[in-house]
Amino acid sequence: MSPDLTVVIIAVALPFVAAGLTPLLFRLFGERTGYVGAAVAFACFGLLASQYGSDGTVALSWIPSLEIALRFTVDAWALLFALLASGIGVLVFAYSPVYMHGESGLARYYAALLAFMGSIIGVALAADLIALFLFWELTSVCSFVLIGFHTADRSSQYAARMAMFVTVGGGLFLLVGLLLLALVAGNVLDGSAFDLAAILAEPEAVQAGLRERNLFVPTLALIAVGAGAKSAQIPLHFWLPNAMAAPTPVSAFLHSATMVKVGVYLIGRLRPLLTSTEWLFLFATVGLATMTVCAALAVASRDIKELLAYSTASHLGLMVAGFGFTSVVGAEAGVFHLFNHALFKAALFLVAGIVAHEAGTRRLDELGGLRRDLPVTAAVTAIAGLSMAGIPPFSGFYSKELLFEATVEAAYGLGTLGWIYPAVATIGSVFTVLYSLRFLALFFGRRPDGLGRVHRPPILLLAPPALLAALTAVVSVYPDLAVRAIVQSAVDVTVTDPHSMHVGLPRAYSPAVEMSAIAIGLGAVSYFSFGRIHGGIRSIPVAVPPIGANWWYDVAVDGLTETGSRLASTVHNGLLRTYATWTLATTCVLTISGFVATRAVVGATVGIEASPEIGLVLLVAVVAGVAVVLSPSHVAGILTLSILGFMIAIFYILASAPDLALTQLVVETLILLVFLLILEEIPEYYEVGLGKVARDAVLSIGIGVTAFLTVIVTTSARSEGTSDVARYYTERAVPEGGGTNIVNVVLVDFRSFDTLGELVVVAIAAISVITLLVMRSGGDAE
Amino acid sequence: MDGLVITPMLVVLVAAVGTLLFRRQPRVRLAVSLSGAVGYAVAVAALAWYVVIAPAAPGIATYQVGDWPAPFGITLVADGLSVFMLSMVATIGPASLVFSARYLPKYDRRTFYYPLSHFLLLGVTGAFLAGDLFNLFVWFEVMLMASYVFVAYYGGPQHTRAAFWYVALNLVASAVFLLAVGGIYATTGTLNMADIAQRLADPAAAGIDPAPVVGLLALLLSVFAIKAGLVPFQFWIPTAYRAAPPPITALLAGASKKVGIYAIIRLSFTVFAGAQVPVSLPWVSGSSPLAFVGPILFVMAAGSILVGGLGAVGRDSVEGVLAYSSIGQVGFIAIPVAIAATTSSPTLRRVGILAALVYALNHTIAKGLLFLAAGTIESATGTTDLDELGGLAGRSPALSSAVFVGTLALVGIPPLSGFFGKLLVFDTAVRAGAASVLALLLVGSLLTIAYTSRAWNRGFWGVRTPAVEDAAVDPIQVAILVGLAAAILAVGVEFESVYRFADAAATAALDTESYVEAVDPQAVNGGEQP
Repeated sequence: MSPDLTVVIIAVALPFVAAGLTPLLFRLFGERTGYVGAAVAFACFGLLASQYGSDGTVALSWIPSLEIALRFTVDAWALLFALLASGIGVLVFAYSPVYMHGESGLARYYAALLAFMGSIIGVALAADLIALFLFWELTSVCSFVLIGFHTADRSSQYAARMAMFVTVGGGLFLLVGLLLLALVAGNVLDGSAFDLAAILAEPEAVQAGLRERNLFVPTLALIAVGAGAKSAQIPLHFWLPNAMAAPTPVSAFLHSATMVKVGVYLIGRLRPLLTSTEWLFLFATVGLATMTVCAALAVASRDIKELLAYSTASHLGLMVAGFGFTSVVGAEAGVFHLFNHALFKAALFLVAGIVAHEAGTRRLDELGGLRRDLPVTAAVTAIAGLSMAGIPPFSGFYSKELLFEATVEAAYGLGTLGWIYPAVATIGSVFTVLYSLRFLALFFGRRPDGLGRVHRPPILLLAPPALLAALTAVVSVYPDLAVRAIVQSAVDVTVTDPHSMHVGLPRAYSPAVEMSAIAIGLGAVSYFSFGRIHGGIRSIPVAVPPIGANWWYDVAVDGLTETGSRLASTVHNGLLRTYATWTLATTCVLTISGFVATRAVVGATVGIEASPEIGLVLLVAVVAGVAVVLSPSHVAGILTLSILGFMIAIFYILASAPDLALTQLVVETLILLVFLLILEEIPEYYEVGLGKVARDAVLSIGIGVTAFLTVIVTTSARSEGTSDVARYYTERAVPEGGGTNIVNVVLVDFRSFDTLGELVVVAIAAISVITLLVMRSGGDAE
Repeated sequence: MDGLVITPMLVVLVAAVGTLLFRRQPRVRLAVSLSGAVGYAVAVAALAWYVVIAPAAPGIATYQVGDWPAPFGITLVADGLSVFMLSMVATIGPASLVFSARYLPKYDRRTFYYPLSHFLLLGVTGAFLAGDLFNLFVWFEVMLMASYVFVAYYGGPQHTRAAFWYVALNLVASAVFLLAVGGIYATTGTLNMADIAQRLADPAAAGIDPAPVVGLLALLLSVFAIKAGLVPFQFWIPTAYRAAPPPITALLAGASKKVGIYAIIRLSFTVFAGAQVPVSLPWVSGSSPLAFVGPILFVMAAGSILVGGLGAVGRDSVEGVLAYSSIGQVGFIAIPVAIAATTSSPTLRRVGILAALVYALNHTIAKGLLFLAAGTIESATGTTDLDELGGLAGRSPALSSAVFVGTLALVGIPPLSGFFGKLLVFDTAVRAGAASVLALLLVGSLLTIAYTSRAWNRGFWGVRTPAVEDAAVDPIQVAILVGLAAAILAVGVEFESVYRFADAAATAALDTESYVEAVDPQAVNGGEQP
């Protein structure tokens, strides 16, 4: 069954339309706009669900010239992700009105949340590289707006900017990667450069094309940076814990269930295309490192949302690693864990919201033993938390087992060093068990004395996480149900040779079972020394700040600001002579190199047959020029300068250009007068260092040489003396221009348009003088 | 139909003179100015329609002023490239003029503001249409003269100083321009651009030696780089952009700056590219002046991206950030031009010019919007200092939404116009296989994120300052900003049309043959008998 274009388009567009209407909706419904959002999300869910079982690509034309279209693919992997996004969207929208009650800026909140949901559905379905990037970037922008929801709060601003920096910055890398892919695909597939569906239809050919051009590793690396930035992979994971400045429903929706999974989703989507040894090393390594390091950081957390954020990064690492392993079971781990994690982690975030809302604090050391105050919440947490820990028979256990199997399989293939993968995965899982237990202790541990009365949450806060926990429970009991419903067919999309997938409780010994046993056992045992481990990990970044990624970010951003303001004041130092030096020197260097490059200088000849009079005049001018520089006072200098000017006027007369000579004389006289007026304001004497004198001398000579060369080189370029244009003017001036003075006819007839422009210039000059006088006095011009 | 070519110039000229004549009748003056603005947009739209967009459009139209045949009289040429540039001006120009009507105090003493802005537009328009090198110089001067006053407009010490620097550096540029024009006339014996191209393509027939054109082009490149504000010719920008009234800065950044870019493309590609001149220096070699232009532009662009981007991160006022950003953004425009000049592939050359044009279009609208927004902020709060601003987002959601869209366009978020500019520029670099260029573009784009997010956080988020609390935001000003934001979105959504338009422009820029044919300069010993 091929998908229905209209339904797909509506499912993507509806949230955007609703986002656009939010200001209006908010006026109508006020805080209940959240329920409208829930209805929109539900409608999207329904529309997407109606496409269940279909497989194919539909397209809406956008930019045919570039072969860019809004192409959407519906397959199980896309549907799995889109259904998760819209389904959790329903719950988050339903949760928000109560949670966000009384906050200001809710119209913006809902608009961004709706736009985000549209974008995430778009990412899931996109089958065009540009359309994919479009929705990808929009999720980052919405995330920026939502993290910065408390706009007056410094930590929100800091976190929003950091998230923008990392995710949009990562997006740039992704864009370049996609362009490389498109470049090769365009060649290999004859057109259809941006058509992801077409590219994925020919994975071997495209990969071979990439390798042929030595672009495989760059493309892979660039896409990995983009995906890793979005999915909080080491070393770009640090923005995610900071993003917890966002309101909790946002954290549950964007920063755990959907947006951060976009990177994982893309990795899964491109897996059949790019799978290779490089792929394995890159993603398995990055993923497992993220899984372990972030799990350890979760253990070191003090705040419940911080714990969940690091835990999310750690689980994202697990998914990335799963997809990184090239075996089928790796893909199974990736897909199934993405599904499980979305359910249990969203539930846990919503629980964190309830705790913060009802207990008034999110600090782990101020919370504990809440099971009596919040019994239903405690049950929800137990299911979701045990699933997070990977304890059998909870859902997280199955997908983690798949990962363990994948690491072992890879280790067999890779030899001795390959066993690092299972080892690291096990260590990561120990930390996972550890922080999961710590989270469960919120409800089952000792109740701190300082903790005041804790209210029961309203039903609308409780229902969404309870529903998610119920789903988790169903998957825990009947994992095959989920596998058969959607997971299996989603896995088939992300592998090259589909197998049927089996999950369930282990019945026999296998290395994966042993790894689980070690993880759970060690985790449980070491929980007794949780305090020491917690303190130990915390002390590392304190002792060695550069080990924390946050530190690098702060140093980089502060350094950038610092460098920026220093650079600006160094480059623009407020001295005209610096500016003029650079401008003139660059012009001279460029021009002289231009003449040298074409050997134009070689052929040039100094072809002036100077009469003795002209020679004398020019000699006087040169002497005057030197004298200006050496003159002892300003007045003497200016008077000497006018000698130079008058010599030029005489030169014009001798070269039979009386008009020019007259103009020159007028200009000279005026300049002299203006200078004499300004002289009053100039200090009589100022010291100029020898270095500056040398610089000015070199520069002046450079300018002289440039101008001289230009004149010499160009005047010797043409053999004839008079140009055709000049001849034309001579011939036509009298019969057609009606004037005997050619210059006049050129000015007022042949090239009168120039004269019009020059008249405008003169008019503006006059206006300028009046304007400046008026504005300076601050008075009225009328 | 050829008369259409000169119409946009006539409209602004009439508006300039009209506002000058009615300077004592504020209402009439305003009416004249606004109808001039609207008329300008209509004239440009009509020109664009008949010359490029309409089915079976000729693609190029010329107007011989005074009916003197080229190259003896002055030719105005409207081809795809000119019309594309004019269309950009026709977006920001009228927006700036209408904005000014709300921005200037009601009983303003700034009598000459309107005539001067129309003259500024006249200069810009003339520069885009001129088919004659000296005429190009003249319209440059018109544009510059008008902008000189505006930089010095408020008459304070900082304005005077900014104007002094601006005038000094641009006078240098004008002198250099004249030197180059003289040199080209001496070398080729003509000033008509089509004629220059024709003679350079066949120097033997014209009896000229084309060797000096590379040096002359270097002179011109320096001049145009000063207008465009490419490093190391950018010194005047930060102060001048801060000193001029914000609606004028929107024009300076949106229109005047683009004249520099336009002139680089027009002269290097349409006019000089055909010259068969062997170029060889230790670091470049080739057989066309473009081989010389490419590396120079690349170095300038790289410098601009770094100086502009880094400088903008450290600025503490809205216009300061925007001014430095303009330096950086023009680097992004120059990169694909540099690639186009270096490559030998005709496709990549066209793609490069196209990318530069689309990027320039985005910069005109987005930066125009942001400078106008700086004006709104300034007139509403009395300051643009980021330390004194904060919480604008809550104070005026419409203003901040428009600014947000403009900012995202600078960053290059899809589906805004800026994304396509960035996409095409990156694509040009990818196709050229230039890894170092890509690295530079990535660094530059990261810097863009850094300075835009910093300015946004400090000005629009944060605790509301007293200045913002008491702000009175003018709704009509905001309406103009929202209109420009909508244009940014529309360009992206309807990018197919924009792409085709830009493609026509890029094709025209490289199609010397059609250019020469349309202008039809008379043969060497030519001129038909009367």
